[in-house]
Amino acid sequence: MDAFRKIDIDQYEEDVLLEEELYDADPRDPATVLTDTKSKVGAVRGSLSKGDIAGALNLVLDSPPYGPNVEEAKNLNLQTLVSILNSTKSTEIPAIVRALSPDAQDTLMKYLYKGMALPGWGDVSGSILLTWHEKLTEVAGTGCIVRVMTDRRTV
Amino acid sequence: MSQPEVYSLAQTPITSHAFNGDRSQVAVSLSSKDVQIFERQGHDWQPTETLSEHDKIITSIDWAPNTNRIVTSSQDRNAYVWQQTVDPQTGSTIWKPTLVLLRINRAATYVKWSPNEDKFAVASGARAIAICSFDPEGDWWVSRLLKKPIRSTVLSVDWHPNNVLLAAGSADMKARVFSAYIKDVDKRPAASVWGEKLPFNTICGEYSSPSGGWVHTVGFSPSGDILAFASHDSTINIVYPGGPAIYTIKSNTLPLVTLTWTTEETIVAAGHDCQPYVFSGNESGWQLAGTLDDTNAAKSSGGNRAGYGGASPVGRLNSAAFNTFRNADSRGMGSSPGQSAGSGESELFTVHQNTITSVRPYDGAPGAVSRVSTSGVDGKLVVWDVNSVSPVQTLTAKMGGLHLK
Repeated sequence: MDAFRKIDIDQYEEDVLLEEELYDADPRDPATVLTDTKSKVGAVRGSLSKGDIAGALNLVLDSPPYGPNVEEAKNLNLQTLVSILNSTKSTEIPAIVRALSPDAQDTLMKYLYKGMALPGWGDVSGSILLTWHEKLTEVAGTGCIVRVMTDRRTV
Repeated sequence: MSQPEVYSLAQTPITSHAFNGDRSQVAVSLSSKDVQIFERQGHDWQPTETLSEHDKIITSIDWAPNTNRIVTSSQDRNAYVWQQTVDPQTGSTIWKPTLVLLRINRAATYVKWSPNEDKFAVASGARAIAICSFDPEGDWWVSRLLKKPIRSTVLSVDWHPNNVLLAAGSADMKARVFSAYIKDVDKRPAASVWGEKLPFNTICGEYSSPSGGWVHTVGFSPSGDILAFASHDSTINIVYPGGPAIYTIKSNTLPLVTLTWTTEETIVAAGHDCQPYVFSGNESGWQLAGTLDDTNAAKSSGGNRAGYGGASPVGRLNSAAFNTFRNADSRGMGSSPGQSAGSGESELFTVHQNTITSVRPYDGAPGAVSRVSTSGVDGKLVVWDVNSVSPVQTLTAKMGGLHLK
């Protein structure tokens, strides 16, 4: 009886608003995005071995892959980020989060929600994501969460 | 610091409020099909007249201060202009409605008189803005539609002081500046930062919200040279079209849905966080200056601000529901439905107890506004002194408080 709700009414609309019109596309082409992301993996590993977690986070949160056709780069960047989150002591998190730029804080929040949305949470420990989420919310507030929900440039 | 004047007009949400010119009367829509006019009697507002003509919920009201006309827009896709006339039968003064031919096929969402009060703009869900002017020959209000390039519902509009340019915020995540020049009404406008030649529907500017939120509210500065807009990504943006700079302030609270300029360098904006914030700045940068709602002070009703959730480091995340579960957990108190009614458990520390949906200048000339009025979902109407700004209780300050315990 609710079948009418499943009708795609947009097909009858001449002037339909498409998903890709809602945000500016990434100027880089998908192949470049993937190589950029791959090159970050090494740099991040280098920073981590020096114990420079803030530096590693800034690397991975800078111009993250978003939009269609870059699934591989998106997953790779998430894995890189998770490796940073896993190797951070929980006492260091507040200072690291506070030092991030507002843009980087928003991007980090996007990845935290992406991590929580993974089926079975992947190889991510739930308590680690929740700890980061708590500390990040204390610094960036509910506004940061709202921006993750509104932003169509999903990571 | 002067206390805000708080009036509880209703238990229902106030969708919109508009004062008359001398502020002795206020027209509000209490989430219904009718406009209710209240008159000030001492320190109280008494309901006087009800204007009924719409068949669906009224979305917006504007009261022209000099010509004393009210315009209303509604989800029934119509707008009415209300004028006080003498009823020939009874001899009493009544508000007489005149239907406006909007030619839109979706709800009208927002309405605003132009500064000269000879035109008004009606925003709508039909991806269009109707610019309405009076045709003396036909003795009716006619409209011309601004359509391109709007891709979604228009949520708010604001007029430039030159009576020609119109800013619009829309659910397609853009704020735009249009020319709403009507040949028979307007004189040719002087060139401004927004352009020189301005035929109808010229697009003088188009600005995206930074993180893809609906643009809830737009406002020109008193001079008209600066545009501010706030969007659902919890940001407020200040656009200088001349100097190609756009300042974005990312708020760490919930989104702002309404704003008004009080001077050329200050904006009061409010929304889902239930308190009016003050932003200040100039060409070299903008920042959050504080809040008009001093949450540390006692409420004007007397007594300390009771309520839960204030010590929470994450603001309103710590809600009544959260406390219900926490109490159930720590004290073994289960609250059955209905039992907690009236216990004030969900009372917030702010004056407004729910989203503020409208903020308007109340006192002072444009560019030197000394008081603003707000109304919201809690049915309250509040008048604030814009100069009593308190520092915002930052999350870190609240955290500090937590550590001391």
